[in-house]
Amino acid sequence: MSFSMRRVRAVMLRNIMAELTNFGRLMDAIYWPTIDIMLWGMTSSWLAQSEQQIPNLVLVIMTGLVFWQIVMRASYEISVGLLEEVWSRSFVTLFSTPLSINEWIFGVMLMGVLKTILVLLFGVGIVWAFYTLNIFSFGWMLIPFSFALIMFGWVVGFLGAAVIVYKGDRVSSLPWVFAFLFAPFSAVYYPVALLPNWLQSIALCLPTSYIFEGMRSVIATGEFPVKDFAMSMGLNAVYLTCALMLFRFMFEKSRARGFDRL
Amino acid sequence: MSQTPVLTVSNLVKTFPSTDGGVFTAVNNISFTLHHGEILGLLGPNGAGKTSTIQMLLSTLTATSGEVAYFGKNFFKHRSDCLQSVGFASTYVSMPGNFTVMNNLMLHGRLYGLGGRALKKTIEKYLTIFGVLDVGNQNTKTLSAGQKTRVMLVKAFMTQPKIVLLDEPTASLDPDIAYQVRQFIMQQQRELRVSILLTSHNMDEVTEMCDRVLVMQAGSIVADDSPAALAARITATTHTKPTLEDYFLHVARGGKA
Repeated sequence: MSFSMRRVRAVMLRNIMAELTNFGRLMDAIYWPTIDIMLWGMTSSWLAQSEQQIPNLVLVIMTGLVFWQIVMRASYEISVGLLEEVWSRSFVTLFSTPLSINEWIFGVMLMGVLKTILVLLFGVGIVWAFYTLNIFSFGWMLIPFSFALIMFGWVVGFLGAAVIVYKGDRVSSLPWVFAFLFAPFSAVYYPVALLPNWLQSIALCLPTSYIFEGMRSVIATGEFPVKDFAMSMGLNAVYLTCALMLFRFMFEKSRARGFDRL
Repeated sequence: MSQTPVLTVSNLVKTFPSTDGGVFTAVNNISFTLHHGEILGLLGPNGAGKTSTIQMLLSTLTATSGEVAYFGKNFFKHRSDCLQSVGFASTYVSMPGNFTVMNNLMLHGRLYGLGGRALKKTIEKYLTIFGVLDVGNQNTKTLSAGQKTRVMLVKAFMTQPKIVLLDEPTASLDPDIAYQVRQFIMQQQRELRVSILLTSHNMDEVTEMCDRVLVMQAGSIVADDSPAALAARITATTHTKPTLEDYFLHVARGGKA
């Protein structure tokens, strides 16, 4: 049989249709390159623009890397945990028991804390083993920021879970998308001041920008920035309340359509 | 069987927005009771509203209106309390596939406040009864359809519920295992006075097991009687005695209930 361009076009069309109807594939094509370019572009730009030597540069970057994992883990524990129930078609099994939604929420939040402690210990150990850098060399002033990051991880997790509980596995890439969405605006590796003005406005609305600025301040000055910490906790409290309300609202909206479709 | 209702459903309605912008009524103002120690069958063609009804009785689907009471207690206000006494199994739901059967069942027991060695022994007892003790250490995702159905039945009965809701409990089982499962369910009714609400498309099974049958059609209950009484409502198309299946086909094809 001769080579047919018609069949080649059919293959291409099939891929185009899959691309347009699959949220995950769309994200792969557009979202991730954008996030990577923003995040690493800004970091490179900061390093290039810094005329003076940045004190403890490697430690600053490593601290950002390790502590951003806290947001990711606390968030995944909620959103991926929920997604796994959907994937295994066990959502009805779980919520046809006496388990209440508040108990589920509390359980996954606590799991986020446990997982975070493990990840933090592991991350700090890896940095020590590979780079002989001690992230806690500035005392334990970074610990309160860890809790603030867990809280923000919960916010991100419940925002993702709110969509998953309604849409099911059609939005299965959402936990990863959501966790990284805030990274470029959180000033994880570079100062907020480096961002364009309009992005600075977004960054200042995020608790993570205060957290990472505060952590860099601890590394630079050795002093605990009370104001940054208070701002991050205040914003976290507001966002967590809103995220929980949204999750509960979407949970009930999903229940009205029936959990058996998930 | 005593006439004490353990489950009372009053004017239960479920509507969904339909694709044409209107409203689709899946369950239309149904009322019934399940009595202590009774096996009540819920029959109807596909789309009649049986699964929606069961889902509302488990609060995995919100009712549009109406009331449900378990042991006289308002279910929508005391969900956790009520579900403590309710077991559920369905062919269409599952448990996390990466956990072993035993771990899944232990976790399930914990959601009912059970735990420890006593729980493990209870689970082993029910795994033995349903002939699936050998799969206890297997990952749940490796089970065959029949094994999975039996594990779900273990899940439904292991918490020693007073009421069990079963959505097609013998679907995907071979005739021998299905027979054993039916015997077990009837034994639970006889010996422990467990009340059971079950859906099935197997008319012989319903005839054998159920004290009473509710027939649903287009979201409404169109008949409520014993299997024998329902069968006697129609004239058989053959010379043999009419069966519940004859009655079911009569109603499903639009005949008068």
